[in-house]
Amino acid sequence: MKNIWKTLTRQKAVFAILALLVIMGAAELFTHTTFYTLYNWLDMLRSAAVLEIVAMGVSVAVLCGGCDLSVGGTLCIGGILAVMTVNAGLPIWLAFAAAMAAGALIGAVNGFLIVHQRTEPFIITLGMGMLLKGIAQQLTDAHPLTCKSLEFMTISNQKYFGSVPSLVVFMLVIVALFYLLMRFTSFGRNCYAIGGNYEVAKYSGIAVVPIKWSAFVISGVTASLAGVLLASRMNTGSSVYGDNTGMLVNCGCVIGGTSFAGGVGGIPQSFLGVFVMQLFTNCMNQIGISSYYQQLFQGVLIVTVIGLDCYGRMLKREHRDRESRLAARMGS
Amino acid sequence: MKKEPSRIVKFIQDNLVLCALIVLAIVTAAVQPKFLSAANLTNIMRQLWPLPFIALGMTFVIIGGFIDLSVVGIISLSAVITAISIDTFGQVGAMALGILSGMAMGYLNGVILTNFGAMTQAEVLFITYGMSSIYMAIGLMATNAETIRITRSTRSISLFNALGNGTLGIVPIVLIVFVVILVLMHLFHTKTLAGRGITLMGGNKNAARLCGFNIKRTMRLVYTLSGLMSALGAISLVSRVTTANATCGTGYETNAILCVVVGGTSLKGGKGSVIRTMIGVVLITLLGNCMNMLGLSTYMQTVMRGAVLVVAIWLDNRKQL
Repeated sequence: MKNIWKTLTRQKAVFAILALLVIMGAAELFTHTTFYTLYNWLDMLRSAAVLEIVAMGVSVAVLCGGCDLSVGGTLCIGGILAVMTVNAGLPIWLAFAAAMAAGALIGAVNGFLIVHQRTEPFIITLGMGMLLKGIAQQLTDAHPLTCKSLEFMTISNQKYFGSVPSLVVFMLVIVALFYLLMRFTSFGRNCYAIGGNYEVAKYSGIAVVPIKWSAFVISGVTASLAGVLLASRMNTGSSVYGDNTGMLVNCGCVIGGTSFAGGVGGIPQSFLGVFVMQLFTNCMNQIGISSYYQQLFQGVLIVTVIGLDCYGRMLKREHRDRESRLAARMGS
Repeated sequence: MKKEPSRIVKFIQDNLVLCALIVLAIVTAAVQPKFLSAANLTNIMRQLWPLPFIALGMTFVIIGGFIDLSVVGIISLSAVITAISIDTFGQVGAMALGILSGMAMGYLNGVILTNFGAMTQAEVLFITYGMSSIYMAIGLMATNAETIRITRSTRSISLFNALGNGTLGIVPIVLIVFVVILVLMHLFHTKTLAGRGITLMGGNKNAARLCGFNIKRTMRLVYTLSGLMSALGAISLVSRVTTANATCGTGYETNAILCVVVGGTSLKGGKGSVIRTMIGVVLITLLGNCMNMLGLSTYMQTVMRGAVLVVAIWLDNRKQL
C-alpha cells in the first residue's frame, strides 16, 4: 500500500490523470458530457499533438540540465518559413527542410551560448524567444500568411485508419522515436549522465560539449517541425502562434516528472505531463468553466506542481546537510 | 610583467553594451538633428513611464539573485483595482488600494517561494510565471476583459491627470515623484542593514545565512518591493493612458530585465545598483527612440531589444569566466 502511494506521489502526472478521470466519471452522473467518447479523446490528442512534439525536443534539453524557452519563437519561424517556401512554388519537402534548418541554426546558437559560454539557459532562451518573435513579425509584417497550396494543408488535416487524425499519428511516431533515442542509444544515456552531474560526466570521458550542444539543436529542430505541422493544420503561418508555448511545454515536462535539476524523468513522463494540461483544459470545457477560470486554474496547477518539485529538492538538500553534519560529528 | 589596463579601458571593457548604446545615441544625434530637439526629449520623458518603476523593483530582485516574471500580472491587476475603485473610494483611496494590493501580491509571491524552498533562478522563474497568470486571470474576471476608462468616473481624477500630464515648469510631475522614490530606494539599498542584506544574499546565500541574515525574510522583502514598484508603475500607466485593462502589463517583464542587465547589474546577483538600472532605462528608451528616428519598424525594434538582451547577458557572463 505504502509503495503504491509513493509511486503515485512521484508520478504526479499519472495521479492527476486518474483524479481527473474519477472527477469526470462523477460529473457524468449529474450531467451528460461527451468526455468518455473516442471522438473526444482523439480530438484531445490532436490538440495536444503540436505541444507534445515540441515537448519531446525540450525534454532532451531539460534532461541535459538545460531548458529551452525559445521554442515558441522557433515554432513561429518554422511555420512562417514553410508557408513562404510553399507559396514561392517550391516543393513541400523543401519547406520542411528549410524550416528544420532554421530550427537547427537557432538551436545551435542557443547551444553555443549555453554550453560554450555557460550562460544561464532560462534567461538566455527567454531573450532569444523575444528576438525570434521580432524576426517572425518582421518576416510576415505581423499579418497571418495564408498558404496557397492545398497539398500542404492536407498534411495535417487528413485522417488515417478511418478516423485517426494524421497529427496524432505523426506525434506517436515522433514520441516513439524519441523514446528509443533516449532509452536505447548511448547518446540518450549520456544525456542523463550530463544532466545528473556535468563534472562527473566530463571526467568519465563523455564528450559533454558536443552532446549537450546537440540536445539544444534537437530541441530547435523539433520545435520548427511542430511549427510546420501547426502551419499546415491552420493553413497559415503567423507570428502570434506560440506565445505561451515555451512556458507551457517546460512546465508540462516538470509536471510529468522531468525535473529541471536534470537527469531525472524521461520521454514518457514528459508526454504524460503535457497531456495532463490538455486533459485539464478539456475537462474544464466539458463541465463548462469559463476561460478566465481556466487560466486561473492553469496558473494554480503550474505553481503547485513546480512548487512541489522545489519542495522535494529542498527536503533532499536538508537531508543531505544533516547527514554531512552527522558524519562530521562522528569523525571529530 | 603584464601592464594593468588603464582605468578608462577597464571601464569600457566592463560596460561594453552601455558604451555601444551611448555611441548609438551620439551617431543618431549627428545624423538626425531632431533627436536632440526639445520636443523629442519631452516626448521621451512623457512616454518613459511605467518602465522606470518596474525596472527599479526588478533591480532588487535581480541583485538578490532571483527573477520576477509576475510583474506582468501585478501591473495588470493593480491597474484594474485602481481604476475600478475610483468610484467607490475616491482617487486617493484608489491609489492607496492599488499600492497595497501590489505589495500584497508581491508578498504573496515571496511567501509562496520561501515556503516551497525555491532557491534557484529556474524555479523562481516558473513559479512567478504561474503567479502572473493567476493575477491576470483574476483581473480578467473582475473586468470581464473590458477596458475601464477612468475619465468616465463620477469622482474627480485630478491627481491622475497631474501624474499623467502635469508639469512643474518643464519637468513632469511623475518624474519628480520618481526621483524622490529613486533617492529613497538608493539610500535604502546602500545605507540600511536590510538593503545590504539583499546584496549579500545575491552574492552568496550560505554566507548570508551564516552571517545571521534571515534569507527567507530578505526574499519576501525583495518580492514585496518588486510588487510595490509594479503597483506604482501601474498607477503611472493608468494616469498616462487613462484606461486600464487586464492585460496592460504584457511585455514589461522582459523590458525591465533588459534595462537592469544593460545597466550592468549582474544576473548572477550580488552586484549592481539602482542608479545603474536608471542608466539602463534611459539608454533602452533612447535606443527605441533612435530607431524610430532612423525609420525602423516596430518589429525590428523587438528584434534589436532581444539581441541587446542576449548579447548583454552573454558579455556579463564572459566577465565572470
